[in-house]
Amino acid sequence: MTVIKPTRTDAKAVARGLIASPFDARLRPFSLYQDWMPWAGYVSPRRYDTVETEYFAIRNQATLFDVSPMHKYRITGPDATQVMNRLVTRDVAKMRDMRVGYSLWCDEDGHVIDDGTVFRFSPTDYRLCCQEPQYSWLHDIAWGFDVTIEDESHGIAGVSLQGPTSFAVLERAGFAGVEAMKPFDMMHADGDTLISRTGFTGDLGYEIWCPAEKAETLFDRLWPAGSDFGLRPIGFDALNMTRIEAGFIAPGVDFQSSHHALRPTRGRTPFELGFGRLVAFDKGHFNGRRALLEAQKRGPRYVLVGLDIEGHKPADGAFIYHRKKKEAGHVTSALWSPTCKRNLAVAELKVPFGTDILSDLWAEIYHHKEGKWERVMARATVAERPFFKHARRGATPPGRY
Amino acid sequence: MANRYDAIVVGAGHNGLTAASYLARSGLKVLVVERNDYIGGAAVSRELHPGWTYSNCSYVCSLLRPEVQRELDLPRHGLQVIPYESGATFMRNGDYFAYYSDHDALRREIARHSKKDVDAYDRYSRFVTRQCRFIKPLLMRTPPDPVRLKPRDIQEMLYLARRFHDLGPREMADTLRFWTMSVGEFLDDFFESDVIKAHIAGSGIIGTGLGVYSPGTAYVLLHHYMGEVDGSIGAWGFTRGGMGGVSAALASAFREAGGEIRTGSAIEKFLVNGGRVTGVVLENGDEITAPTVVSNMDVRRTFLKHVDSDDLSDDFKKAVRRFKIRGSSGKINVALDGAPDFIAAPKNAAFLKGDLHASDSLEELDRAYDDWKAGRWSQEPYFDMLIPTYIDPTMAPPGKHMMTLFVQYAPYELAGGESWDGPNREAFADTVIDKIERHAPGFRDLIVHKEVRTPWDIEREVGLTEGNIFQGELTFDQLLFNRPVPGYADYRSPIKGLYVCGSSSHPGGGVMAAPGANAAREILGDLGRQSGSNSVGRAA
Amino acid sequence: MRYDSIVIGAGHNGLAAAILLAKQGKSVLVLEKNAVPGGMAANGEIADGIQGPQLAHLMGGLGKSEIDALDLKRHGLTFAAQSVPTIALDESGRHVVLQGSEASFADGGAHPDAAAFKTLRDRMVRFADKLATLTQRPPPRLDGIDLREAASLAGLAFGIRGMGKTDAREFMRVLLSNAYDAILDEIDDGVVAGALGLDAVMGGHIGPRSPGTVLTLMYRSIGGGARHIPAGGMGGAMRAFEASAQAAGAEIRYGAGVHTMIVEDDRVAGVLLTDGTEIRSASVLSSLDPRSTMMLAGPAHFDAEMVRRIRKIRAKGCTAKVNLVLNDAPRIEGLTAGQMAGRLLVAPSLNRMELAFNRAKYGELPEDPILEVTIPSLADPALTTDGKHILSAVVQYTPYELKDGWSDKTRAALANAVITALARYDSGMAGRVTAQQVLTPMDIETLTGAPGGHWHHGEMIADQMLMLRPAPGIDRYALPLGGLYLCGASCHPGGDVTALPGCNAARVVLAQETRRAAA
Repeated sequence: MTVIKPTRTDAKAVARGLIASPFDARLRPFSLYQDWMPWAGYVSPRRYDTVETEYFAIRNQATLFDVSPMHKYRITGPDATQVMNRLVTRDVAKMRDMRVGYSLWCDEDGHVIDDGTVFRFSPTDYRLCCQEPQYSWLHDIAWGFDVTIEDESHGIAGVSLQGPTSFAVLERAGFAGVEAMKPFDMMHADGDTLISRTGFTGDLGYEIWCPAEKAETLFDRLWPAGSDFGLRPIGFDALNMTRIEAGFIAPGVDFQSSHHALRPTRGRTPFELGFGRLVAFDKGHFNGRRALLEAQKRGPRYVLVGLDIEGHKPADGAFIYHRKKKEAGHVTSALWSPTCKRNLAVAELKVPFGTDILSDLWAEIYHHKEGKWERVMARATVAERPFFKHARRGATPPGRY
Repeated sequence: MANRYDAIVVGAGHNGLTAASYLARSGLKVLVVERNDYIGGAAVSRELHPGWTYSNCSYVCSLLRPEVQRELDLPRHGLQVIPYESGATFMRNGDYFAYYSDHDALRREIARHSKKDVDAYDRYSRFVTRQCRFIKPLLMRTPPDPVRLKPRDIQEMLYLARRFHDLGPREMADTLRFWTMSVGEFLDDFFESDVIKAHIAGSGIIGTGLGVYSPGTAYVLLHHYMGEVDGSIGAWGFTRGGMGGVSAALASAFREAGGEIRTGSAIEKFLVNGGRVTGVVLENGDEITAPTVVSNMDVRRTFLKHVDSDDLSDDFKKAVRRFKIRGSSGKINVALDGAPDFIAAPKNAAFLKGDLHASDSLEELDRAYDDWKAGRWSQEPYFDMLIPTYIDPTMAPPGKHMMTLFVQYAPYELAGGESWDGPNREAFADTVIDKIERHAPGFRDLIVHKEVRTPWDIEREVGLTEGNIFQGELTFDQLLFNRPVPGYADYRSPIKGLYVCGSSSHPGGGVMAAPGANAAREILGDLGRQSGSNSVGRAA
Repeated sequence: MRYDSIVIGAGHNGLAAAILLAKQGKSVLVLEKNAVPGGMAANGEIADGIQGPQLAHLMGGLGKSEIDALDLKRHGLTFAAQSVPTIALDESGRHVVLQGSEASFADGGAHPDAAAFKTLRDRMVRFADKLATLTQRPPPRLDGIDLREAASLAGLAFGIRGMGKTDAREFMRVLLSNAYDAILDEIDDGVVAGALGLDAVMGGHIGPRSPGTVLTLMYRSIGGGARHIPAGGMGGAMRAFEASAQAAGAEIRYGAGVHTMIVEDDRVAGVLLTDGTEIRSASVLSSLDPRSTMMLAGPAHFDAEMVRRIRKIRAKGCTAKVNLVLNDAPRIEGLTAGQMAGRLLVAPSLNRMELAFNRAKYGELPEDPILEVTIPSLADPALTTDGKHILSAVVQYTPYELKDGWSDKTRAALANAVITALARYDSGMAGRVTAQQVLTPMDIETLTGAPGGHWHHGEMIADQMLMLRPAPGIDRYALPLGGLYLCGASCHPGGDVTALPGCNAARVVLAQETRRAAA
């Protein structure tokens, strides 16, 4: 082997710890609590102000949540529709152009890898937006097909504008045409900005995407427009409350990505997560289809249910028992809902609990009372999800307040 | 000096001390005899140049079983392990690949080399972690004998079968593949970047006479991953004060339990009478008697050098002779006047605190192996280079540094029957230092003192046959029930009362203490005694 | 018309599958893109219009039960020479003759390693017999063992244990060991060790020091490991397969390349030929490798994980073929005419083999080639006229991808290396050569479709054998796409002319398609 003498390249070390989002310079000054958390390698706010303030802002005014850390991939090429359909369980060929669709995708065992949103620009151009990195998985899916996959995660900044006055803010900011957008519509604005009528709150809301270098410009346009409409930045904690109220599930919380679980038994099918309606068996083969056909035949092993729990102590992590004795499952997400005035939870139950056995369920809740732990068995009643859904979410044209 | 004991352990290596400690804690009167003037075997800290301490054989710690650390209360006896959280491979083009335990930083770093490999790394690391979870419980168990099939063997086989079956069909297939494939091909399955593969592949060849494309090396990789520091699987750390800290803590635990250690006491042979061991004779002629004798030496040394040939059957001796213990690595310890300046490393790069390498492709590693097969040391050697002084201030005077270099490959026997002594040893060191000098100009001028240990030196000084760090190759034909000899994987030998507790036996080498603890459990079981420990007290 | 089964490829495994299916009354169509049967075992033109065994030149692993089940004897399978001796050529001129487990010098003198060789080889054959039971059916399943299978696995375990403690222990020790150590533990390195070692690595991208090569050595030792020269060359044997298939009612179409498979309702429903013809069938058996098969069906019908597994099957051919036309019979001093007609090996030692493998790993031309040579025209004079002869040399350790690239120049260099190596034993060799044919692994791929030109359509090494062959999840011949099966060398138990993959696949198809019809 020939000996090559390396030469100094003055390479810089990659950043360690967390990096700042494109909105960081604008949003950081709002933080009263300096309460940050990691999200996909970014520093992300848990809250700026009190969680209470932020929660009610989502339900009453308009809020900005920085979603730039989401992973974004662009899938383009003649086979793009085929590849997207190979990836996700729903039929993207049935989506219209400039529409967004919530989707799940599965491994060969029919276990959910992740969920996310598919943005369809055209039959040959899609964006996938999700929590977990999928770059090499997309390449595995696309092997043998004519598409290009680009990781836009760092290049595209995103902000979620949610709340009853969110439309008013966009209108004031001068984004023409938003009034015609129905839920899951998207439109281009100013060339490189994309607005989609999507969100996690079960209420009126939009997500706005732009090139990372234009993030501050976008913020500077939205912020003054929101001054009369109570616009405020929010952190994860408040958003998570509205997510649970709206009935959305989160990977790593309500289910474990089959690509990350160490224990093979942690995989769940879309049926077990309550998304059987998003499995389009009639579209031809897609990843996990054969396993899902089997799973459908076999019936679910687990089921995610909404629970209304007596009392007002949030049931985070509680075991669920049948007749106070037999273990039936556990709570994956829970909160006292200030809007619904109910003590709500999402729980994973082991079939037949949650399917055939719906009554006599109890949540074992531990709470800390001035230096002493108390254990409560609280009656849990299966409740319809979403727990919160407001008519203004679907109204088109949307109301201003 | 009283010369009657309940048990004698020959060799104060970490496994010998571990076994001795468990035996002493059960109330036995135990003597450890050690040939060298210092204890520790290959886990030692030695001040070979004033002010500098060398971990001059083993140099980093991960595999040491947490069960043993807790049961023998080693932290109270002074053991302190500090994890290092990074590492790097310097590349021929002047760039580098850094490993960080900080997941986000690692992702960014991998993306510099290949975007696809970012997710591939997650997939890879989940795979290896799953394999670690599978193998971990097997480390502290005695392998069954699939031929003898006594109730215990059947019970243990069923345990293994059940664990395997519980993996589910997909994982079962993955496991079978993983255990039989080469580290190179295993990594080719996941990664596209050469340097990332090369960085990881080192773990698949360290200490073995195999190449990165030799089937079975994926398991060797696992052998280096199945350790942990504070529950962080696969993490490695420095023992504060050098690897002698492990031995010192074990010796302290042993002495506290009433044990006695005699250094400078090389054994001549094991005393055998009517197929039963009765004690040992030292080189100085002293006879020490005990009904139980445990050898920490490798099996070749134990049975071919220190047992009368007549006391063993030809079949057994043949099986021991063909147990492969191949010298494949050397060690260089260097006292440095200051920190080396690696041209690839940004200023104050965090990764300098960890394991550093300069082999940036699998082909380079494979060619290094080809040299070894031909009886040469590698012309482009792989090395595992660490500068513990970045983390541990006790190893060198302030501002000075100590470097430890594990070098692969170096044969035990040089082609043409040449001697390692003299110019060849120097030339071997020069090959390594030249390579470092390419990556860190001026390195040579920083050297204050160096110690060069070829496989031949390691055998002579430490007693490891051929200088093999694992007391025997970690190939499948020498693992589990095949280690060290089929039919004798339970730490016993054809001679009643004579046991082996070194790395020649299951689960193999590394500063793991599992063979020592397992052997103690078998011995105590034979003696009908309890040790008061969870992992060792359960008699088989 | 709609067939019960279409078989893609008229290699011996494809034909074997067709025979068994047709014998059960199934309507079978075999599609072959070339003009003759046999695939890698076909006869072809070597040069100057002389037909001979282009690639495979010896028949080894075809067992009696397969010969019977496939009615090959009745359809013309005859041998020009059976159990030919192996001649391990020694540079010193003291060549060694190996006949079964007996080793002696060519002049009849006793060989010092004879006893050790016999012990070692007999043990291998004994161990191989235990494994043989695993080759005649699909590999053990990992997803729930049925009773019959459990019984036969238990039978295997008892069989191993039944060899006695010493043998049983040795079996479990060496199973995944390397040929280099297993052989050199018993005998010194040299031509005898080389001859044994060659059986462990022939056709593969592995060196004798690679762990796992004892397993391949056992595979080659099944049934005793004898080699035969079929009458009419390997192509002659292939004609027997063809005749048997036709007699059983199978239809064979030559020059019929498959363009794509027709897939309907998640099942394969037939094939579309390159000429546009559509042919329907209830099932399709492909004797191609998994990747080519997948591409014919379309990767869209496979989950991404399976596509990845199939993509990652290692099939890097490492064996070339050099065929020489000679104007005269070669002569090697010290060998009788009968010995010359045997299997001549240039494998001076295991160390030299390992060195040869080193070069192949880095894409370099063999310098000191390791050869298995036959001169089929000696045993079967009908192959040539005018006193000409064919010399057929398998050149082990020729890389698929040559660093300098394969060209006429590098091909000629390969032929020269072979002729030079042979000239060490027959100084007149170069002068006898009137024509030569060089088939590199790349050429073999082009000619036969074998991926990487690999003899076995996939490396035969522990992590690609048994339930891992050709890849986890497709080890039992059925692909995930309904009605589609593999039946070639890529499947369990693997390569060589054994007909076992084809026979096993046919039995699986019969069982599964019957069960499906019932359901």
